[in-house]
Amino acid sequence: MTDSAKLKARDYKSAVKPIWCPGCGHFSVFNAITKAMAALAIDKDDTVMVSGIGCSSRLPAYVDSYGFHGVHGRGLAVGQGLKVARPDLTVLVMGGDGDGFSIGGNHFIHACRRNVNLTYIAMDNEVYGMTKGQASPTTPIDWDHSTLTPHGPGVRPFKPAALALAAGAPWIARAYSGNPNQMAQLIAAAVEFPGFSFLHVMSQCITFCPEQTDWKKIVHERAEPALSDADQAAKLFLHEDGFETGLLYSEQRASWPPAAVETPSDGAMDALAASFRVSTGVTRQ
Amino acid sequence: MKNTNVELAQFLAHSIELESEARDRYQELADSMAQHNNPQAAQFFRRMAEEGNQHLAEVALLTEGMTLPVLNAWEFSWPGAEPPETTSYEALHYRMSLRDAMGLALENERAAEGYYRQFADSSEDPETARTAEGFAEEELSHAAELQRMLQSLPKNSAHSREEDDDPHMPE
Amino acid sequence: MHTRPLSIAITGAGGAGVISCGELLLQGWARQGGLGLLRKAYGPQIRGGEAAALLKLTGSERYTAATQYDLIVALDWDNFSRFEDEIQLGPDSWVLCEPGANIPVSVAAANPRLLQLDMAELTATAHPDGRVNMVVLGILGTLLGVPTDSLCELAGKKLRGKPQSYRDAALACIEHASKTALECHLQVPACDSTALCYLSGNQAVGLGALEAGVRFVAAYPITPASDVLEWMAGGLERVGGKLVQAEDELAAINMTIGAAFGGVPALTATSGPGLALMTESIGLAVASETPVTVINVMRGGPSTGIPTKSEQSDLNIALYGLHGDAPHLVFAALDIADCVFTTSWAVQLAQHLQTAAIVLSDQFIGQSTAVISEPRRCRMQLAATASADPEEIASDSYQRYLPTDSGVSSLAIPGETNRRYTADGLEHNALGTPSASQSDHLQQLDKRQRKLSDFDFGGDWAEIAGSGELALICFGSCSAAINEAADLLRERDIATRSISLRLLAPLQVADLSHALAGCEQVIVVEQNHGAQLLHYLQGHINFQQAVHSYAMPGPVPLDPANIAQRALELMNHDR
Repeated sequence: MTDSAKLKARDYKSAVKPIWCPGCGHFSVFNAITKAMAALAIDKDDTVMVSGIGCSSRLPAYVDSYGFHGVHGRGLAVGQGLKVARPDLTVLVMGGDGDGFSIGGNHFIHACRRNVNLTYIAMDNEVYGMTKGQASPTTPIDWDHSTLTPHGPGVRPFKPAALALAAGAPWIARAYSGNPNQMAQLIAAAVEFPGFSFLHVMSQCITFCPEQTDWKKIVHERAEPALSDADQAAKLFLHEDGFETGLLYSEQRASWPPAAVETPSDGAMDALAASFRVSTGVTRQ
Repeated sequence: MKNTNVELAQFLAHSIELESEARDRYQELADSMAQHNNPQAAQFFRRMAEEGNQHLAEVALLTEGMTLPVLNAWEFSWPGAEPPETTSYEALHYRMSLRDAMGLALENERAAEGYYRQFADSSEDPETARTAEGFAEEELSHAAELQRMLQSLPKNSAHSREEDDDPHMPE
Repeated sequence: MHTRPLSIAITGAGGAGVISCGELLLQGWARQGGLGLLRKAYGPQIRGGEAAALLKLTGSERYTAATQYDLIVALDWDNFSRFEDEIQLGPDSWVLCEPGANIPVSVAAANPRLLQLDMAELTATAHPDGRVNMVVLGILGTLLGVPTDSLCELAGKKLRGKPQSYRDAALACIEHASKTALECHLQVPACDSTALCYLSGNQAVGLGALEAGVRFVAAYPITPASDVLEWMAGGLERVGGKLVQAEDELAAINMTIGAAFGGVPALTATSGPGLALMTESIGLAVASETPVTVINVMRGGPSTGIPTKSEQSDLNIALYGLHGDAPHLVFAALDIADCVFTTSWAVQLAQHLQTAAIVLSDQFIGQSTAVISEPRRCRMQLAATASADPEEIASDSYQRYLPTDSGVSSLAIPGETNRRYTADGLEHNALGTPSASQSDHLQQLDKRQRKLSDFDFGGDWAEIAGSGELALICFGSCSAAINEAADLLRERDIATRSISLRLLAPLQVADLSHALAGCEQVIVVEQNHGAQLLHYLQGHINFQQAVHSYAMPGPVPLDPANIAQRALELMNHDR
């Protein structure tokens, strides 16, 4: 355990400096994470940041906590295994839209369903940034700036919030890289939420999607409280513009796994070995 | 032991947050510019961070003996999403010129001045109004200084942000 | 001390319950102090298909599959042709079946001795709700000298979830049929063993894992490995561990890595297709130096292959399947009992050396049940890795990947103070910061290699028996077959030594070369088509002797007589 005196946000930063392009929205997310950690007075030693591959997945190294930088798309699997094995730790999983919704799509669906108590921050810039700008599952249908899909993807993008709801996520929120303070509040709430919390961050890519600086004109903050009815949430998520920020959906659902009911007895291992032993009576008929 | 002036305490808490966010942000931008091999912008932002440190120390002096409200980052009220003197992350470009960097700093100083001026004008507590007025004046002088420095800088060349090379793929 | 084994095949279809019959018989036999092996063969149906319980009752714990059956009990002959390859008989074999049944051509051609018994009538007499399989159990029990009340007790336990009347019918059948004496002369092995255990290889893997400290398992079902995971689900709960059912093998291996990063010894189990999916992330475990154990219960390949049959064709992927230079541990369990030892050894070494361990088992030992004496355990005394003093170091300077002499660095567990670091699949420096520099890459590559190649694995890398100018080398479950072949060869005056490799990577080159000293001929025996072990050994060992290959893919188990025959031809040719 570190010193109990309350740390500032900057105290949660490691010595490693981010390599994100100046103008990248992920700086805001990093800023917000450290502010949330400071607000919650999170113990650095009991916190693990887990990520996959991509620009957003570089984040764990920048935070002064434990971190695991895994392979593309598998951050949620690593995070859930870690949290189930070590429920005492605070686990945050993060990655981008390609990492989380394409190669990691299956893990995203099942993480929402499984409802392990961790926080998933998806930094969505509607592009594969690190590999030089290919379309991702959230790229608009007509975005034609990639030589891989020169006529645009031609396929409609996912709605991550709708997908999360259908898969069973009990807490869904959205943030925007232009407002790190709101994001910090949402991250703090997400960490405190006793279940799987999904924060969908619209985080601009200055290099491959400079047009995203226009997002600031269409982002709007939710005025109403979060929905708790799945039907209403379904309607919202299927028809919204994807730029409403704030806590959008929150329901009470027991996280998984439930706490163990019994403590194992000392002789449990021996009993297991004994279960294979044959009681022999060496008498022939 | 002086009685805590609640309004002043609230104001000073905001001021400290404003200065400290500004300082931290300039530091981050300096690091980022250095990472991207833009020494002019990096040096400038670092200087701004250092000055921010000084301002912060000055404000801190004023708060001696006071109990300030302890607020989370999102609990402060600002005109916009972030404190006035904090440069938006999205305003940067890796090939930004010193003129561009200074321009951002100038906008920050003006925004800060506007914020303090508004506080000074609307505050009902005379001590708070006076303090705010003082801060506003200081921001004004910073702005003037920056304005002067800007005038001696050459204009940006037409395509200063262009680059011939394609973006690179680090992973 | 050669007791001739007695091999019995019980076949039937459409829900006849032959597998239960075989299991109960072997359990009863074990209670009497008898040794034996039960293999199972099935058609492709999930229920109601054709099935065969293949029993081999022995005088020793060396369990090869039977190649010829002394007795076939056919409850019916429906789709018996599916088992033709496996169930061979000769003129001394006995066949027990219903009178008037259509005996398959392949069976009749062997000219066995026929016993025709109206088992259906015997069943009806015993109980109106009776089943033929329990009648067969009664008959065979008497034949083998297993007490009826013992079989009844075992049957009662097995059927405890069924309605009372169903259980009553079963017991009535056993009782009634036990009074029938078959006119059949079979040499029954002695029953004089004590302190026995009855378990399958897959269960043994689970036991070894838990005993070694595994407390987290991520599971994705796949034939023939699901039994490992299912047994561990129950076992883990009893000892306070956790099992997560994953959505696919990619999740399974990554969850395992996550738990291991958290300091909890973790394991997953799969078969060839699943291992192929996992390889990227096993490489992540190697690069980030996160200890994980992956059990691979091999089956017929390639691709979907033959899921319910055994083969040893995943050696290549286990050794070479990770991209980049990613040294790791590869083990192969030699038999059902050895699954306990080898799994436990693998887990402990994976933990100590902070790397990935792949343990190769196969469908033959995984899904066969055997009677064995108390299995050998692996309890290593490993020197604890030196830890950096937390007081002395600030968080930013903890060198998680410090290149030490042994190559093993201290391993911080989340929760520990002043040892925060970010594990990475990216190449990194000693601090764990990603690095593309040549010196860092070389340093870390050397370190990850050195920690394995410089480690003293001791004498368990192989089981070596006998001496002589001929050597038979194998890995994993072919061990029993080559030892039996060696016995056959010794009877023909060809002195043979057998070397069964338990540790495949890092290959113990010096030890193996030493074990081959004085040999003139080597035959590398393996159950795959591409001679994977042969090529592996040839790539690393400067053989002083002539090396030959005996590579036979599945689905039929290796025949020691064929191996011996091949060796004879070789030796005669040379003479």
